[in-house]
Amino acid sequence: MTEMVNEQNEKDVFVRAYTAMVLSRTFDKKIVMAQRQGRIGFYTPSIGQEATQVGLSMALDHDDVIFQYYRDVALMIHRGVPIEVILDQIMGNAEDESKGRQMPSHYTAKKYNFMSVQSPVATNLPLAVGAAYALRYQKKNTVVVATFGDGSTSTPDFHAAMNLAAVFNLPVIFLCENNGWAISLPTEKQTKVEISEKAAAYGMKGIKVDGNNFIETYKATMEAVERARSGKGPTLIDAISFRMGAHSTSDDPSKYRSQTVEEGSEKDPITVAEEQLKSLGYLNDSLIAKIKEESTKMVNDKFDIQEKIPAPVPSTMFDDVYAEKNWIIKEEEDDIL
Amino acid sequence: MSTMNMVQALNSTLDHIMSGDNSVILLGEDIGKDGGVFRVTEGLQAKYGEERVIDTPLVELGIVGMSVGMSLMGVKAIPEIQFQDFIYTAFDQIINQMAKMRYRSGGGFTLPMVLRTPYGGGIKGGLYHSQSGEAYFAHTAGLVVVTPSNPYDAKGLLISSVESPDPVIFLEPKRLYRAAKIEVPDEDYRVKIGEAARPMEGDDLTIITYGAMVPTVLNTVKKNNLNADVLDLRTLLPMDVNAIISSAKKTGRVVIVHEAPRTLGMGAEISALISERAIEYLYAPILRVTGPDIPFPYRLEDYYMPGEARIMKAVKRVMEFR
Repeated sequence: MTEMVNEQNEKDVFVRAYTAMVLSRTFDKKIVMAQRQGRIGFYTPSIGQEATQVGLSMALDHDDVIFQYYRDVALMIHRGVPIEVILDQIMGNAEDESKGRQMPSHYTAKKYNFMSVQSPVATNLPLAVGAAYALRYQKKNTVVVATFGDGSTSTPDFHAAMNLAAVFNLPVIFLCENNGWAISLPTEKQTKVEISEKAAAYGMKGIKVDGNNFIETYKATMEAVERARSGKGPTLIDAISFRMGAHSTSDDPSKYRSQTVEEGSEKDPITVAEEQLKSLGYLNDSLIAKIKEESTKMVNDKFDIQEKIPAPVPSTMFDDVYAEKNWIIKEEEDDIL
Repeated sequence: MSTMNMVQALNSTLDHIMSGDNSVILLGEDIGKDGGVFRVTEGLQAKYGEERVIDTPLVELGIVGMSVGMSLMGVKAIPEIQFQDFIYTAFDQIINQMAKMRYRSGGGFTLPMVLRTPYGGGIKGGLYHSQSGEAYFAHTAGLVVVTPSNPYDAKGLLISSVESPDPVIFLEPKRLYRAAKIEVPDEDYRVKIGEAARPMEGDDLTIITYGAMVPTVLNTVKKNNLNADVLDLRTLLPMDVNAIISSAKKTGRVVIVHEAPRTLGMGAEISALISERAIEYLYAPILRVTGPDIPFPYRLEDYYMPGEARIMKAVKRVMEFR
């Protein structure tokens, strides 16, 4: 929800942002552990990108539409998607909105205006442009956001979407969660220029922001939201953070990088937030400990409950290919089941 | 009733659809001011404005991707890809977004969009203005693939496609755009998706075809006085299996004719369906008359396109098989 921060609500808004970051971090660590224990199949943690995602979420309304990528759990949590919904997708259980069809980290959350996540990177960007076109045509004052990693900026879809959004002057925010790495490729080998500078080539505003700082990211996003809502067109935000974990649970980053950011170090976005909120007098060590403790309990409890939900029944795999099954699918279902 | 060719039928149908439904938006390259390179959208931008008939930048993947995004928000997008030969940069969008959205969102997000594109040879277009890529799309679950062979079906299939809750690839055989004028009713009617037509009935053999090859087959049948059952598939995914099998059982001799290359073309699937379901009714092998497995040649295109001579060669083999 757009958080118009003022003197009265600043403490609540900021503490809520911090709580979402902690919950996301706790969640990610739990899921990575559960994957190692063989309790889930795969995961792409957001560790290191919590401030970027929460800062973005703070600037958005419920009606704004998000075409997200597969590393946006803090964004979902702050936007109010229940932990259960996220767990159901990761577990691919019978309660999952996509009926267990997609591998973990590929969420759909229609109620929260989260579109459905794809694997092929940046293919969500042209969709965001089309959605923005349609919403403007329908006279809705809605902003559309596409999130993606730094690797996505090399794709034809990125170029197509940036150009189209600028040509049609659409209310789109392209938020690059620049975590420094596209699996094994560092950003400096992905592109010769700063990602924010690419915006100029399309006639679009580009902003580079410290994605480790949720307040700075929020402010940059608010600027883009205001531009979009007032009909002034799209914005590219390059939010710089660091992928503190592996690309996914199937990846071993020690093979290609020696650089790391330790949890709790001064480059950890959660540490940055703690220092900010302590100096503002909104948090102290005991409050921080309480928030972390509650997050751990919540994640553990909910994981154990959702884990008991069974897999979808086999016949569901033949549903939703079309509005109605054609004869081919009916025949194959009869043959297989 | 009005007498019109396929371009006129498509144009007047799009006009009619747009006048009745504000949520319909057309987009593509040169479709607005220019009316499309084949003039299918002629006059529509002047009538409905630049916001509803969009001249897009030159980017096929963007046209398809934007259409997917629009459709998710409740707009009915009807994108045009200028030539099917240029669709491949949008292939990722078609295969991974357009075809899979309903499935991967558990039925929550649907895409009632119609992607129109001219395909096939016969206009001296060479390698890149002549391709018949229908098998690429018919191989993809989540898509519906249709192709009309005359102005009447063009109108009825287009209305059905726009009303379809599923994403449709609407393939327009460009060689037939202005090939014939026939009577087309002024009022709305539908050609049901998944239903083949039987433009000629006969008992000696079955010829299964679609798109630009339909008139070629019909002329061959008439000229040679064949007693043939001719099927015009009209929908390539899902094909009308009942029409195919009942005709194969009736005649016991089947020839399949299409312009696309033979290897893994629609003919391969049709042949397999018949083999699986009606092999005991067959008197002869199922033969395919198709484009060769080469790129589409410019100067020698008449040798590429299946014609009467090649069709009759296959018919004779099937009829004389002992």
